[in-house]
Amino acid sequence: MSKPTDLVQGTLDLLILRVIALEPMHGWAIAQRIRHVSNDELRVGQGSLYPALHKLEQQGWIEAEWAASENNRRAKYYTLTRAGRKALESETAQWERLAAAISLVVRRA
Amino acid sequence: MRWATKLRLRLRSLLQGDRVEAELDEELRFHLDRLTEEHVAAGLAPADARRAALREMGGLDQRKEECRDARGLALVDELRQDVRYALRGLRKSPGFTTVAILSLALGVGANTTIFTFVNAVLLRPLPYPGSDRLVILRERPPGAEGTVSVHPLNFLEWRARARSFEALALVQTPPLNVTGANGAEQIARVQTTAELFRVFGVGPARGRVFTPEEAQPGNHDVVILGHGFWQRWFGGDPAVVGRRLAVPEGSLTIIGVAPPGLRIGLMEADAYTPLPIDPAKPDSIGSRSFQCYGRLKPRVSVDAARAEMAVVASALARQYPMDEGYGVFVSGLHEYLVREGRPALRLLMAVVATVLVIACVNVAGLLMARGIRRRGELAVRASLGASRGRLVRQLIIESLVLSSLGGAAGLVLAYGGMLALVTLTAGALTVGSIEPIRLESTCLVFTLLVSTMTAVVFGLLPAWQASRVEPQMALRERTRGGTADRRQHRMRSVLVVTEVAMAVVLLVGAGLLLRTFSRLVRVDLGFQQAGTITMGLFLGRRPPEARVALVDQILERVEAVPGVKAASTIQFLPLSGMSCGTGFWLEGQARGDASHALPTECSLVSRGYFAAMDVPILEGRPFDGRDRMGGPRVVIVNRSFARRYFPGGRVLGRRIIVVWSDEARAEIVGVVGDVRHNGLTSEPVPTVFLLHAQTPGYITTLVVRTAGDASAQAAAVRRAIHDVDPSQAVSAAKTMEQYVGDLLVRPRMYAALVAFFAVFAVILAAIGIYGLIAYVVTQRTHEIGIRLALGASRGDVFRAAFGPGARLTFLGLVLGIGAAWGLRGLVSTFLFGVTPGDPVSYVVAAAVFAVVAIAVAAIPAHRASRVEPTAALRYE
Repeated sequence: MSKPTDLVQGTLDLLILRVIALEPMHGWAIAQRIRHVSNDELRVGQGSLYPALHKLEQQGWIEAEWAASENNRRAKYYTLTRAGRKALESETAQWERLAAAISLVVRRA
Repeated sequence: MRWATKLRLRLRSLLQGDRVEAELDEELRFHLDRLTEEHVAAGLAPADARRAALREMGGLDQRKEECRDARGLALVDELRQDVRYALRGLRKSPGFTTVAILSLALGVGANTTIFTFVNAVLLRPLPYPGSDRLVILRERPPGAEGTVSVHPLNFLEWRARARSFEALALVQTPPLNVTGANGAEQIARVQTTAELFRVFGVGPARGRVFTPEEAQPGNHDVVILGHGFWQRWFGGDPAVVGRRLAVPEGSLTIIGVAPPGLRIGLMEADAYTPLPIDPAKPDSIGSRSFQCYGRLKPRVSVDAARAEMAVVASALARQYPMDEGYGVFVSGLHEYLVREGRPALRLLMAVVATVLVIACVNVAGLLMARGIRRRGELAVRASLGASRGRLVRQLIIESLVLSSLGGAAGLVLAYGGMLALVTLTAGALTVGSIEPIRLESTCLVFTLLVSTMTAVVFGLLPAWQASRVEPQMALRERTRGGTADRRQHRMRSVLVVTEVAMAVVLLVGAGLLLRTFSRLVRVDLGFQQAGTITMGLFLGRRPPEARVALVDQILERVEAVPGVKAASTIQFLPLSGMSCGTGFWLEGQARGDASHALPTECSLVSRGYFAAMDVPILEGRPFDGRDRMGGPRVVIVNRSFARRYFPGGRVLGRRIIVVWSDEARAEIVGVVGDVRHNGLTSEPVPTVFLLHAQTPGYITTLVVRTAGDASAQAAAVRRAIHDVDPSQAVSAAKTMEQYVGDLLVRPRMYAALVAFFAVFAVILAAIGIYGLIAYVVTQRTHEIGIRLALGASRGDVFRAAFGPGARLTFLGLVLGIGAAWGLRGLVSTFLFGVTPGDPVSYVVAAAVFAVVAIAVAAIPAHRASRVEPTAALRYE
């Protein structure tokens, strides 16, 4: 019974979870990663990225740690928690169902 | 685990706001720098790159704000959602909510009230620095219970020998007559040695305290004003030091003002004067009639002081014949002052603790019933994917909402209860630190803990049970009673029986105390209290003849006041808490020393005393105008005296020698009825009445019998006294009814409070019974419908529904009566005229409860019997 979330917000959560599932990353790197992997299609604005990160942290899905970045500055690295990994699975499944359903409708209707 | 992490994170955002804020700043700055670098790499000048990056980010502060929102909202949002959900749930079942909140409020309110009260009276230390080192010393006479006042010689010896004390002070409290613009007045005075203020650890509010020289014999006409008296008499004049306080014999120099709130023992004095002790002749100021207060040295315990004083006492007993067999009593002052109230307050605490348990049991029962009703709902939500944690959290939130509401209502009740209690107990408590009562933070924490624990524990019970049942099972069991239901039903039955039993115990206790109170109200005191007004007269340093003449004149004038039927005086009024013990010899008996005299109480009265108090003359005559100073000595004895010392024999005309009356031979001219002099429950003791006109005293109390309202005559009587001597001080007028009322305050308080709480308990238990039966009826509507359809009569249904309630009530009653019987020893000290096993109280308690229980059980049972079979069968 989680509260209804708008599509974009929910999708961003999924993207973030998916991206940091590979390795711990700081906010900047997450944004870059999403941009590169999506072939520059998805550009995550700072206005949505950081609030989303903080919300996910509060939810206990990701946790943060300060570490030296690639250019030797302190940066806040986010990692998936166990709960986050579970959430990623269910969110991915849900997304795939939804995407499939939408594409079905788009194609056949 | 997840919960723990989340909780930690949330607490961190809440508590470590600064650090979280700094990290947020650093994180966003990092992003900004990387963005700037990117722009520089793309060829922009550093300054331009920075500007571009900032523009792109849309302002750091705005981003920060969004992150803060995300953090906060996650917390606040979910909480708000849960609270809203809980409130909606509570609103949907107003009956449950009202009763649960009311139960919690009553239990919590009662406990907070009594806890605050006990804290104020028993636990809060006296308001002086290092008050745990304040002690009181008294003497312990041989072969008798209790303690007596201190002899000045012993005081001097203690002061010289004991090493445990930083300071010791000797105190006496004779009244002081003062004269002023508003007439003469008798005020409360403490006469003390110089160390008193050191003992209490306080300095003067103004001026100075007594010097050691002022405690030596000599003419030290100095006075320290009590703070209240300074305000009242001198209007708080800041330059009062050096002014003079007028007394009939002249005036005293004011050397200081005592600090506000200083009470010597229980007495808030209007004035302090030195008590000079002559080391050569210490008993020139009196014998065992002084109070001794001390301050222990730091790190000396009361026990250590007691041990040292035991040694001192045995040394003194060897040295002085008058100390033979005497010991020294040492007690912490606070402990000594609260000793009388302690058992009553303990009883009250036990009573309210019981009320709290009943309230909790009630809430527990209600929450369990609600839990069963909601098991279906919980199962549905669990099968729809709500995690157990989520369900538990919601139940906890619901319990917290419920208990907060109950706790808040309880606090309101406690506040009201406190005000009521302060009114009710005014005058009933020995310790003065009672006025500034307020609910204290300890009480608040206590309150909230109790209410929250109950609600959370029993609110979670259904979640715990739901978690042990497979959702499918629960869904199936939703409408009909399954095994879990039966188990819960049994548990609720146990709860109801417990409630009933405890309520019955309280009812029995209340019955005993109420019967005690009604006995006390109707007790025959031996005199007529109605229409009698009294006021203290301190005759001061006049010669004996002048004291006799003054009283004669005053009585004549007062008797002439319209509406006055009779007037007289007595040294210590009945019920005033003062008495005077002495001894006597029968004529012809060998006169030994005082210790061989026969014991008797002694009262010093004026002519007309028995008429003024309406004490019956059984034999002989009252004192009259014939009995003068030079004439033959006469005494009157009471019935107890006559029975004890002249059993069956002639009393009138016998001669006795009373130790107290300068040991002259006196003839018994009358026998009067017994008076309960020392209190409502005191047995009359042998008493001999001496005549003021023959053996004049210093302290006396005017007794005036009036037609109609006694207190209305007070001003006229006072004017009559001042007609005789304008400088004669008179203490505030008090009617005999007020004296009796004062004595009834405590028993009334006990009875009222226990009865009040017993009614609470009965209401709560009744709610418990009603709730259980109503619940069972609701659960079985379907079954009832089938029964009715199959031909059961409505009477059968009523009996089937009513039976279980009746059985539980009966079981609870039996247990309660048994428990009350087992606990009867606890109240025995508070009873008068009834035994703790008083059958009437038990029967009435059982009957009252049975009637209430039958009434509340009959309502749902009746409803069950009115069920329409067709409707019931449609019912899910």
